[in-house]
Amino acid sequence: MNILRLDINGLLDCLSSWAGGQELYGPVKDGWRRISRDGLEAVVSIPPGAPKAPIKTFFLAQPETLFTFSARHGDDDAWIPTPPKEAPNRRVLFGVRPCDARSIALNSMPYRDDPYYQARMDKTAVVGLSCNETCSTCFCKSVGGSPYGTEGLDILLTKADGGFIAEVLTSKGEGLLEKGTGTPAGDGDMARLKALRDAAQAGTSDTQALSASFKAKNLMQLYNARLWQGLSEPCLNCGACTFLCPTCYCFDIQDEVVRQAGRRIRYWDSCMFPLFTLHASGHNPRGEKIKRVRNRFMHKLKYFTERFGALSCVGCGRCIRECPVNIDIREVIRDLLSVE
Amino acid sequence: MSDTNAKITEEIRAKARELLSSGEIAAFLGFTSGSLPMTTRPFVAKRPGDADKLIWNSFCVMNLANYLPALLESLEPPRGPKDPPPAGPLPKVGVVATGCCSRNIVVQMQERQVDRSRLVILGVSSRGMVDRKKVMAAAEGREPLKVEEGGHTLKVSGRDYELEIDRWSAVRDNCLTCAHNNPVISDYLIGPVSNRDVKDRFAQIEAIEAMPANARWKWFTDEIASCIRCYACRNACPLCYCPTCFVDDSRPQWVGKSTEPADTALFHILRAFHCAGRCTDCGACESACPMGIKMRLFTRKLSKDAFNLFGAEAGLDPQAQPPLATYRPDDPEEFLIVEEKK
Amino acid sequence: MEDKNLQSGTNLAASPTANWEPRIVAFLCNWCSYAGADLAGVSRFQYPPNIRIIRVPCSGRVSANMILDALKAGADGVLVSGCHPGDCHYISGNLHARRRFGLLKNFLEFLGIEPGRINFSWVSASEGEQFSEVVKKVTGRVKALGPTRRLVKEIRID
Ligand code: SF4
Ligand code: SF4
Ligand code: SF4
Ligand code: SF4
Ligand code: SF4
Repeated sequence: MNILRLDINGLLDCLSSWAGGQELYGPVKDGWRRISRDGLEAVVSIPPGAPKAPIKTFFLAQPETLFTFSARHGDDDAWIPTPPKEAPNRRVLFGVRPCDARSIALNSMPYRDDPYYQARMDKTAVVGLSCNETCSTCFCKSVGGSPYGTEGLDILLTKADGGFIAEVLTSKGEGLLEKGTGTPAGDGDMARLKALRDAAQAGTSDTQALSASFKAKNLMQLYNARLWQGLSEPCLNCGACTFLCPTCYCFDIQDEVVRQAGRRIRYWDSCMFPLFTLHASGHNPRGEKIKRVRNRFMHKLKYFTERFGALSCVGCGRCIRECPVNIDIREVIRDLLSVE
Repeated sequence: MSDTNAKITEEIRAKARELLSSGEIAAFLGFTSGSLPMTTRPFVAKRPGDADKLIWNSFCVMNLANYLPALLESLEPPRGPKDPPPAGPLPKVGVVATGCCSRNIVVQMQERQVDRSRLVILGVSSRGMVDRKKVMAAAEGREPLKVEEGGHTLKVSGRDYELEIDRWSAVRDNCLTCAHNNPVISDYLIGPVSNRDVKDRFAQIEAIEAMPANARWKWFTDEIASCIRCYACRNACPLCYCPTCFVDDSRPQWVGKSTEPADTALFHILRAFHCAGRCTDCGACESACPMGIKMRLFTRKLSKDAFNLFGAEAGLDPQAQPPLATYRPDDPEEFLIVEEKK
Repeated sequence: MEDKNLQSGTNLAASPTANWEPRIVAFLCNWCSYAGADLAGVSRFQYPPNIRIIRVPCSGRVSANMILDALKAGADGVLVSGCHPGDCHYISGNLHARRRFGLLKNFLEFLGIEPGRINFSWVSASEGEQFSEVVKKVTGRVKALGPTRRLVKEIRID
């Protein structure tokens, strides 16, 4: 790993070359926007916390065309699937918060063998910006992350002493930097970085503690806990929480035919919707709201954790801020941990 | 908390406690506080002791009528789909209702979704609810960590800043033009009654109508461009109780599932149209939307036309028919092409 | 009845060319307007061949969903026609529909859909000539507007 010091102009030069050579995206006003060379200033000073729009849009396209086909009788290739010709473009995501970056790493576990997801991963370089300042809804540290976390990133930038310390974490990250960019970080920079990391971690004993506690919990006891009733009562069963959540990755697949042109698309779905589990027979194993609310939290906290070793929540706080009825996952975690 | 809110909170708690203790109601539907400033949660109190969790403030933006049909049903004794409805009186529910919420209850009564005799309504005259997105905008991107409501001001503070804003400047758009802030039906009236004299109820709509068609199309498509199809607007709405929503129909599939422009546009057009003549402009849809889309302007246009063309306003009279479920022989029909017999 | 043109697979939302002809979906009620269309045919009243008739039991059966579905599929215009007030086979289907259509037409125009894309009329079973006049008028309107684009769902196949 290579650590550099960059001043603001050095960073702007990098951004400028990324914006020119490939597609550059950054958080602008709660959304991820394509950044042009004239708009670079906007992304170097971003507000604390993760932007409203989740980073998953770059990997789980909305919709993802799996293949297209002609639905015209008589065509030679009628009904024969054609893979999409358009490969995803090369792009750099800039200003990604460590929580969001971690969600990319977490989601790539269930999508390990998914060619569409992996193709998008391959084409994407992720440049993070650590959080010297956090929001009241940030809780990355409790769920195994850190405001200075590097998981899922190719480069992590940390604002320090009027410039940036850049940790180049992967070969993709190396590839992003032209020769002669910045200066090698000095001992002072290293000490500074360590101090920031240590300070952020102060008070949190073990970042893996929460996933360990959930792994140790009895599944059926959590499943049958009494709290689901009261918790689900105000829930609207909308998809706001799951659609904005960077670690919610569920999808549905559908064929569309319009004027004899057809395609199979994959698009976001949510376990909050009754349709998500509706069987063709009409039976719905999660027909009631309480079951759907339970599934959302059980999946994030228990099922995913057992399967992949980490919670499927990176603590970005989006669901807490945007839920119309303020269902707060931190309270759910707290209450579930006290279930005996 | 402002004095008025504190008083209303006390009165709601006392009444809910009384109704729950006496056994007159089996559940009381109100609001409780949320975990962040400017948030509240709909809350069902089932024991007299729960009543202390009830609150009232300017952030009670969800429409409680939305929960009533399911809540009433959940209190009925369990029965199979083919069993007859149980004989005898069924458990009642108490509910806090502002003007719009009470009107939505009236709509639900008209549409046979709730039974008035099972409701005990605590009417509250609304001073206009606050739009937290407007407060956030006033804070210019700084996180509000505390928001205190005064009589006519909101004191917002966060890390290294403090801000006092005029309450009215942050009131929701729908509340600004609401002419029915007092409950239209209630069993008990809580707190002071304030009357409003609103002119230009449809000014926002008229401004859009005045634009050229291409500009309107641009306005519409820009407005919905960031929609993520989460359906919070639909699910927050007390009018949306269909067992299968048109968005979930698959044969035929009225609306595609993607967020491509045509799909999103059709979703918004049809959602709004299904609310035509029924929407009370409660603003719950807009308050629920995580993306800040002003889809209320769509339903508002329909309310304006229903008012001007059919003289109908939603949810004022339980005996009235919803405007699209009835007709008059002389309804306007200038828009029709009628060829005279030669 | 299978409509060969709708099945041809040509892009309905094609760009206007010299010989572009609009396609107009016409929802006609079984008891009046459909019979009126039939009479127009039998009586040899000419009307433009741009309409694709869908027979419905009553104009009251036509929902906003159906009208928008036609636009989504690429119809350049929509016509809904039913019985004159007082003549409805189901007494008041057309009168209920009249309210709905009035609101819908205003609403779509409010959102920027061109006036003239969706059209409504009353045509009775004895008004063959009137039917042909209505179709001429609607076709003229839609022709003047050009091909539909707004609300059309597109799927690109490479
Ligand atoms: S949750 Fe952590 S990583 Fe994410 S924005 Fe907040 S402090 Fe940064
Ligand atoms: S938890 Fe909140 S955001 Fe999620 S479905 Fe329920 S109401 Fe919607
Ligand atoms: S569950 Fe909530 S806090 Fe956790 S990753 Fe998802 S949106 Fe962020
Ligand atoms: S459409 Fe919106 S404003 Fe109208 S009743 Fe429903 S939630 Fe309220
Ligand atoms: S709540 Fe907002 S984002 Fe969600 S579907 Fe409605 S308009 Fe779209």
